[in-house]
Amino acid sequence: MDVTIKIAALFRKFTNGQEFVKVTGNSPMECLHELETRFPKIRRWLYDKQGNLRPQVWFFVNGQKISADDMNRPLNDGDELFFIVAVSGG
Amino acid sequence: MLSKRELARYQRQIIIPEWTKVGQEKLKKAKVLVSGAGGLGSAILTYLAVAGVGRIKIIDGDKVELSNLNRQVLHTDRDIGRDKVDSAKEKLELLNPDIKVEAIKEIITENNVFDLVGDYPIVDALDNLPTRLLLNRVAVKRILPLFRGAVYGFEGRATTVIPGKTACLSCLYKGVLPGKIPVVGVTPAVIGCIQATEVIKYFLSIGELLTDRLLIYDGLSMRFSEVKLKKDPKCSECR
Repeated sequence: MDVTIKIAALFRKFTNGQEFVKVTGNSPMECLHELETRFPKIRRWLYDKQGNLRPQVWFFVNGQKISADDMNRPLNDGDELFFIVAVSGG
Repeated sequence: MLSKRELARYQRQIIIPEWTKVGQEKLKKAKVLVSGAGGLGSAILTYLAVAGVGRIKIIDGDKVELSNLNRQVLHTDRDIGRDKVDSAKEKLELLNPDIKVEAIKEIITENNVFDLVGDYPIVDALDNLPTRLLLNRVAVKRILPLFRGAVYGFEGRATTVIPGKTACLSCLYKGVLPGKIPVVGVTPAVIGCIQATEVIKYFLSIGELLTDRLLIYDGLSMRFSEVKLKKDPKCSECR
């Protein structure tokens, strides 16, 4: 499936400033893997030392929040994957 | 009943068709808690005060430091070393002497949070997740609205929690980005104004609240975007 990953401002330094990255994958996880392969420096923001997805990273498909259990659910052509990291500054 | 002075002070908002004198009376009778008199708090407090929210309770346990002054615009160089709540109260009373401001210098803890909040709607202007989650707990238990904002650098987010109806903070947060939080003053100003707008709409019962939606402000590309949130059926606080 052709999927667009929207890159939040905090992560754009790892994607050479690109706000949208086109990837191919059947699930959010597969798409994420392609993104990491192309932009490896993004990995440490997404995974903890054990290699698990960090719970403070929130994922959205077509603007709807998905849970960690949904990371292997199927995607459709044209879907948009977006992720942000939870912040708490005031 | 609004005084002549209040009618004059608020005339430009009273003429907003959805607002009117009736709305202004509602604001005058309203009370709100703003937790944190920092970057977000400065914007929120300023605009709630000048809009005429009748009773504002501020809670903050910190003192003003020089490094606060790039963003915490209620405080000045002369306030360095003072309690933030006293500095904020003084400025707000100068901005609008027709409202009541209560300043509480306390660190919010598990032991005092229920007493401190009472039955006030809560505006979350804090800088740390554990205390935000304590406020969320009170909001959920007492069914109080919670107006939430957070910032990081040029990026900010806002959402409004209505317990029983929407996702709460515990549905969403499983941790935050660690480390010192970078921030430029304009970001909490933007997000704080959005939170204050939500509070005003809530009290006036107008417009559409930012419920089950997360508004994301990206100051670098100067875009606002929005994503949908949903309750976590396994949430430890609100399920």
